[in-house]
Amino acid sequence: MKRKSLERVGWPTILSFLLPGFTGFLLFIFIPMISTLGVAFTNYSGGPNWKFIGLRNFQILLTSPQFHQSLKVTLTFAVYTVILQILMGLLFAVLLNQQLRGKTFFRSLFFMPNVLSTVGVSLAFSMICNPALGFANQILAGLGLPGSAWLTSTDTALMSIIIVTLWMSFGYYMIIFLGGLQSINPALYEAASIDGATGFQSFYKVTLPMLSPTMFFAMTISIIGSFKVFDQVFMMTGGSLGGGPAGSTNVVVFDVYLNSFTHYKFGYASAESLILLLIVLAITLIQFRNQKKWVTYDI
Amino acid sequence: MTSKKIIQKCTTWILILITSLFVVVPVYIIITASFKNERDIFEAPMALWTSNSGLFNFKQLDKFPLYIWNSIKVTFFCTVIQLGTASTSAYAFSKLKWKGRDTLFVLYLMSMMIPIQVIIIPQFMVIKTLGLYNTHLALILVGSFTVFGTFLMKQFFITLPDSLMESARMDGAHEWTIFLKIVLPLAKTVLATVLIFSFRWFWNEFFSALIYLTSPELKTLPLGMTDFVSEYLVYFGPQMAAAMISIIPVMILFFSLQRYFIQGIASSGIKG
Repeated sequence: MKRKSLERVGWPTILSFLLPGFTGFLLFIFIPMISTLGVAFTNYSGGPNWKFIGLRNFQILLTSPQFHQSLKVTLTFAVYTVILQILMGLLFAVLLNQQLRGKTFFRSLFFMPNVLSTVGVSLAFSMICNPALGFANQILAGLGLPGSAWLTSTDTALMSIIIVTLWMSFGYYMIIFLGGLQSINPALYEAASIDGATGFQSFYKVTLPMLSPTMFFAMTISIIGSFKVFDQVFMMTGGSLGGGPAGSTNVVVFDVYLNSFTHYKFGYASAESLILLLIVLAITLIQFRNQKKWVTYDI
Repeated sequence: MTSKKIIQKCTTWILILITSLFVVVPVYIIITASFKNERDIFEAPMALWTSNSGLFNFKQLDKFPLYIWNSIKVTFFCTVIQLGTASTSAYAFSKLKWKGRDTLFVLYLMSMMIPIQVIIIPQFMVIKTLGLYNTHLALILVGSFTVFGTFLMKQFFITLPDSLMESARMDGAHEWTIFLKIVLPLAKTVLATVLIFSFRWFWNEFFSALIYLTSPELKTLPLGMTDFVSEYLVYFGPQMAAAMISIIPVMILFFSLQRYFIQGIASSGIKG
């Protein structure tokens, strides 16, 4: 009886609920995604004259030093941000999950940068990182350390962007881990302490395994997020002339932007996008495969 | 307390306080610098207010009232539309039964993996074909749905017992009546969460604005701030004043509604 009345809802009603959101998704995500596949094999540059050129774009990309460089920058950025976001997020989730005066305040405080405009924050950090007068070098000088060139040197520019990204995002991961920590059954810790486990042992044997699904989720969104970084690069390295110095912060999505909206090489940029998409997909698939080895869903 | 516990407590506090400084100082720098002239900005030690402080940086932002108005307009429409599309799609994905429902939802979730820049070229062509290039409507349409919001709402709707809808259906209520009269009033908390996320997103949204808007009079606030970005460094005072204008409203909103922000993040991460 129940089942029957559920199924009674007809397609017109279902579509009236589904279509308002789905139309946007179809037009602006799904169709573009499929079209990227097509455009990547053309020399489309915005004009009426374009032709199908097969794998040419991919051939050029594979031998392009600029593309290799931007792949390297993207992967370096991803490795550092993912590791630091997870570690800092986990550390502060554990610290602020204890009985501590003002813990709610500090949780909010650490999360706060996450709601701010990346553009505004990037402007502020550009000033802080000013090599001649900036606050960062004032502090280093105060500690008796040599100053850094920050955004103006190929050695430190990417690191500066990683720091800004971390400033904005670690609180987000902290909140995710706090959610995970709070869903762990306290009885498990009691059992561990009865068995004589030290604080470190119960963290290693109870907290980490119980947190593994949250860890998996956090890693997935952190990896995906790190491949999307754009605003900081744009704002902190000189707008549409950015990605510098000498391409040291030119992540792939920024290179896609440059190739499409500065050089109008839409076909070439689509091929580039496609490679990036395949990389993100591959990493995510590997992650999903490997999760069986370390993610515990039972207990 | 054992000495080990005391050391532990001290380490905890040192870490928390150092990180608090790391979080607070940049915001402090924005606020102080926005009131100072160029010479005083880099003065050490930094003071919140000096005798030379004033509102002169803000007076240089003569185009910003327009940018703010544009941002309010786009943010308002996007947020309202997103609330509508997210709640109706989530209802279709959780409380209605149809063929291909779960497959389509997986597709929705997978699209969260795609960096927007990867599909921006065809998306740009769609917008151009619709004749919407260089209009606010482009931003509003591109932002007319939210996969993340749909996901959050779906997670919530699943927790509502089916019997709630059943009895209304028995009484002959239309699905839309059930949705509007029964389901939505119960969903206030999750609606507030999605509202906050949408607001934050559009208030700060930069990439689509950069791609779709070219006329100076259409610029949104984040895009307007690129007025200050060039190869040669310009004045820091007006930059920080602009940054402050973009940051303070969300900060106020955040500190008054932090419960919803934190709840939204936490509920998206928990297993299941």
